[in-house]
Amino acid sequence: MSEKRKTFVARQDLTKRISEMAKRRGYSLYDMVNEVFELTVKAEDSGVNLRNAVEELGVLKTAKEAGFILCMESLWYDMTELAYKKAKSKTLKSWFNAGVWLAKRYVTSENADPFEAFKKDLEAFTWNTPEFNIEKTEKQVSVRIISSRFPESYTLLYEAFLKGVLETFGYKTVDKEVERGGIRLKARKEAEADERG
Amino acid sequence: MSEAKAKRKRLVYVPEDLLADVTEAARKNSESLSMFVEETLKQALNVNHLGYSREQATETLQVMHAHRILGGAFVPLDVLNYLTTKAYETEKEKLLDVWYESGKWHGKYIKEKFEDPVQALKSFLQATRWDLSEVEVRQDESTVKLRCVSTVLTTEATELLSKFVEGAMHSIDYKTEKSDTLKGMIVFEFKR
Repeated sequence: MSEKRKTFVARQDLTKRISEMAKRRGYSLYDMVNEVFELTVKAEDSGVNLRNAVEELGVLKTAKEAGFILCMESLWYDMTELAYKKAKSKTLKSWFNAGVWLAKRYVTSENADPFEAFKKDLEAFTWNTPEFNIEKTEKQVSVRIISSRFPESYTLLYEAFLKGVLETFGYKTVDKEVERGGIRLKARKEAEADERG
Repeated sequence: MSEAKAKRKRLVYVPEDLLADVTEAARKNSESLSMFVEETLKQALNVNHLGYSREQATETLQVMHAHRILGGAFVPLDVLNYLTTKAYETEKEKLLDVWYESGKWHGKYIKEKFEDPVQALKSFLQATRWDLSEVEVRQDESTVKLRCVSTVLTTEATELLSKFVEGAMHSIDYKTEKSDTLKGMIVFEFKR
């Protein structure tokens, strides 16, 4: 890299924060900006968009905080199948409880829209599911999850997990269609569902 | 931050050819240089805010990319532990076999894609198994000593992870010389 220098114009508030970051690492602003630019150019050359990459790191951090871990999908299905065969009702219960636990984390957070935050995170965690759609209106939640790779046992356990989530958010399932590889649920706010039911 | 304050500008020096590369990257993204630079600086701050160093961020992204290719899925750790315990009661041998094969599959991919497969396996474990509090690899020309420690792993989960690691190392052309697995701790010595 040649040492001939040029200038560019950047927002002062951003350069100030980058400068502080550089200081903490014992770098000069010049070195820090160089490093950031070199990394960006390298990433772009390999077809990686920096914004997407940072989002990916954020997903990993959120997953960790939410008690998720990365596992091979095939191993996960094998384990699910074995446990389901051995202790169906207990396994269903454990998945339901996992849904309750996860949803409680959002319900008790200070997030302005806990359901939206939950939905956004779950969408990010389920990168292996080709069709994942959760829609929420004022009174109703619709869930549509489809993957040809889901075995029957996993589909049923996933439904139990979602049931735990929805109940914790105060929704009661009023309509459902669950078959191997596909989950379609409709849920309404509990009081309303009871009135109609 | 007030809008006026945020809009104040400053001149920053960079090497001429690096600025040319950045300008080219901005052009490819159909963005002006100033927009591209602003976004780049913001993302650098975000990475820092997430607590990653540059090396960690690069390594983690490589691992995430590999996980997508290999079929990784985010799963609730509590449920995984429950499933492991339940399935282990009657299907221990089958499960050990499945995890070993999965490790071999990972190892094959790592061997093909990474210059230093042993260090890549370490990064894999560190980046994805955050239930491990320590992953240590000591390596010389022909020997690899690997140690994983966790305060939360169950006995069953430790044994399965141990099989996974062994499978991966066998695919990277190492043979098991010594192994010791007890609840929350895996110790291996492998030879080429």
